[in-house]
Amino acid sequence: MPDLGKLALAIALILAVYSIFANIYGTRRNSPDFIVSARHALWAMCAMVTIAVANLWLGLLRSDFSMEYVAAYSSTTLPTAYKFTALWGGQQGSLLFWTWLLSIFTSIAAFQNRRRNPEIAPYALAVLATIAIFFLGMLNFVTRPFDLISPVPLQGTDLNPLLQNYWMAIHPPSLYTGYVSSTVPFAFGAAALITGKLDDSWIRSTRRWAIFSWFFLTLGNMFGARWAYEVLGWGGYWAWDPVENAAFMPWLVMTAYLHSVMIQERKDMLKVWNLALIGLAFALTIFGTFITRSGVISSVHSFTQSGLGPYFLSFLIAVVLCYSALLIWRASDLRSPAEFESYLSREAAFLFNNLVLVGIAFAVFWGTIFPVLSEWVRGVKITVGPPFFNSVNGPLALALIFLMGVGPLIAWRRTTPVRLAQVFAAPAITGVAIGILAAAMGLREWYALTGFSLAAFVLGTIIVEFRRGVVARVQMVKEPPAKALVNLVAKNNRRYGGYIIHIGVLVAFVGVVGSSFFRAEVKKSVAVGSSFTIGSFSLKYLGLDESETPHLEEATARIQVMRDGREITLMTPAKLFYKRQQQPATKVAIRSTPFADLYIVLAGLDENGNRATFEVFLTPLVFWLWAGGVLMAIGTVVVMWPNVRERAAISVAVGRRRADDLLGEPAPGGQ
Amino acid sequence: MIRRFIARRSTAVGTLILAILVAAISVTYAATRVSVGEVSEGLTCQCGCGLTVANCNHPTCSFSVPLRTEIEGMLDRGMSRDAIIGFYRNKFGEKILSAPTTEGFNLLAWTMPFAAIVVGGGLIAIAFTRWRHAPGSKPAESSPSDAVAPFDDELRRRLERELKEQL
Repeated sequence: MPDLGKLALAIALILAVYSIFANIYGTRRNSPDFIVSARHALWAMCAMVTIAVANLWLGLLRSDFSMEYVAAYSSTTLPTAYKFTALWGGQQGSLLFWTWLLSIFTSIAAFQNRRRNPEIAPYALAVLATIAIFFLGMLNFVTRPFDLISPVPLQGTDLNPLLQNYWMAIHPPSLYTGYVSSTVPFAFGAAALITGKLDDSWIRSTRRWAIFSWFFLTLGNMFGARWAYEVLGWGGYWAWDPVENAAFMPWLVMTAYLHSVMIQERKDMLKVWNLALIGLAFALTIFGTFITRSGVISSVHSFTQSGLGPYFLSFLIAVVLCYSALLIWRASDLRSPAEFESYLSREAAFLFNNLVLVGIAFAVFWGTIFPVLSEWVRGVKITVGPPFFNSVNGPLALALIFLMGVGPLIAWRRTTPVRLAQVFAAPAITGVAIGILAAAMGLREWYALTGFSLAAFVLGTIIVEFRRGVVARVQMVKEPPAKALVNLVAKNNRRYGGYIIHIGVLVAFVGVVGSSFFRAEVKKSVAVGSSFTIGSFSLKYLGLDESETPHLEEATARIQVMRDGREITLMTPAKLFYKRQQQPATKVAIRSTPFADLYIVLAGLDENGNRATFEVFLTPLVFWLWAGGVLMAIGTVVVMWPNVRERAAISVAVGRRRADDLLGEPAPGGQ
Repeated sequence: MIRRFIARRSTAVGTLILAILVAAISVTYAATRVSVGEVSEGLTCQCGCGLTVANCNHPTCSFSVPLRTEIEGMLDRGMSRDAIIGFYRNKFGEKILSAPTTEGFNLLAWTMPFAAIVVGGGLIAIAFTRWRHAPGSKPAESSPSDAVAPFDDELRRRLERELKEQL
């Protein structure tokens, strides 16, 4: 069976090479047969990679330890669900998984463009195939997932215990989907540069891909944060670890891109900037992979360190050089008749929003690579950790939140100061009032006060915007308010979906501020029957339960949680011991409410369990971070939702012209 | 009437949500002394995890676990955060700190992000100036006046378009 996987990967590589030749030859010689043949080759490539993936999955599920990968990342006692997720638990498997996603997305792009974009699609598909060749080359020649091991071990080494978690099962696929799908808009951008077809058709063709990528990058980051919160046992969710940073940077740049393309769609400006941003987003995904796999920078998330660093670095440099060269080559064609009237305009607000987003991305990048720079220059390897990132990004985040409130509500071209004051008066008063209220309640952290005030201001602007739309519909269409609200969102899903995402960001921001500044913690060693307190909670250690499976041993503490003299709940933090890996792990107990999370870690035990040490955290508002993530996801679905009525209306209006081509155009003044 | 009702209700709902969140903070937050977490956040674990002493994820880490206990003792003895961090810096050197110092080469770490933003802002300002004076761009005076509210026009146009589509 491993031979079938090897063969499939070899054929996939040949097909990828052939598709590039066929696409370019077919386009140059104007031969549709070759272009069709190239498309078929890409679909066949996807089928081959799928066979390879199925092969590895089969090996994992059957515990075929003749395969080195299966022996290294699974065992017979590993639960079946984790045998399945072990596909991305190791170096070769995760690269294969990445390549599989790339081949699927390439096939979908080939299908979508079989009759569209005849000028740039063949080149875009050739770029996608070139990227696939890099990954297939790695899988065929450098880090092979189907290598055999001899003698065949009777038992596997098992999956890293930290990866044996529900969130880790869905976090990597989400993040990889976000990373890999950004390749499609990048490829179309590169194709636009190659062909010189530099209008916004490449943006319109890949707008949904860009949003799709952003959606999964958001989910990937959120799931990763949740995993860290539940598994790492330090009461937090974000440690500014290099790998976390590597996932965060493309998200920031994609966010900037999704905003700045609106300016190009609306005003035909910023062509170079948009092309640069999508190039940067893709380069950062490769940079992230380089960091995770090279071992250049140590990370809690690096489960797959290897000698692949030089290959990824070379690929990254090649991508950056080639793409920059294309941008420079086309620079004169990318000039557009720019129109700009006032700093008090939506385009100005969006540009400053881009500046701050890319500024934060740069700060994160700089902090991530600074230890390496320091070692080169001074010979001293220093650490750049949370205090640096919080200090630098904190003020920038406030600026971003402010711009989030200002941008959508001011008009394109220009807004007068008087009009600005009219629109922003109520939200500004709300923001200030919340700040005063918070100060009156005893909050003294300036950042938290400013953050809450700004969140209130921005939420106010969004509520104002929804209200204006509902009132207009109620008056003009004579709809009841609830129906008007539903129709408002349904008929302008791109704009109002965007606002829902903004509300999600605000809610998450409030969660981050609350949980960062007001966390309380206690560490106590107590005997069975003893109690201790944190905040208004009283915790009583009732005793220890021990259990064992062929896979692990578990010691679970029972904690009675009391408040105001009555029992609220029983919490059960545990210590695990994974037998195959001979590794301990913690299983935290969390009681989550919209006000605060009570988070208990069983930190230590004496010999007979009569005495245990607990680390307990009381973290306000962290619930809202996850709620914000859910809102962001809902908003993105609303944005991406096909607008059937609009499609039908356009189809009627334009007769034979395809509605698809028009749907990418922004609604007047819309997002 | 409807307009006023919706306006009042939406503003009230928005303010209420935020007031509840702020109240949540005041309910759960009690000002205490500096915590072990706040101090150990300033120190890097030396076990190789790359995280701070506060965040090290190894349950039996031979560096961060005893250090956190030591820090607790120091706090009990009344030492300040800076004094504890200074103590460990003297003991282990600069590598123990979780953020660059603000001296020498390390200053670059702190200044570069803000310098980049200032340069970026300057470039945007230059671009705006050029675009403003570019041939074909319309002068600001020709823009809508204060009397004409661009927002409502925009909204009206959008609604009218939707109505046409419905017919």
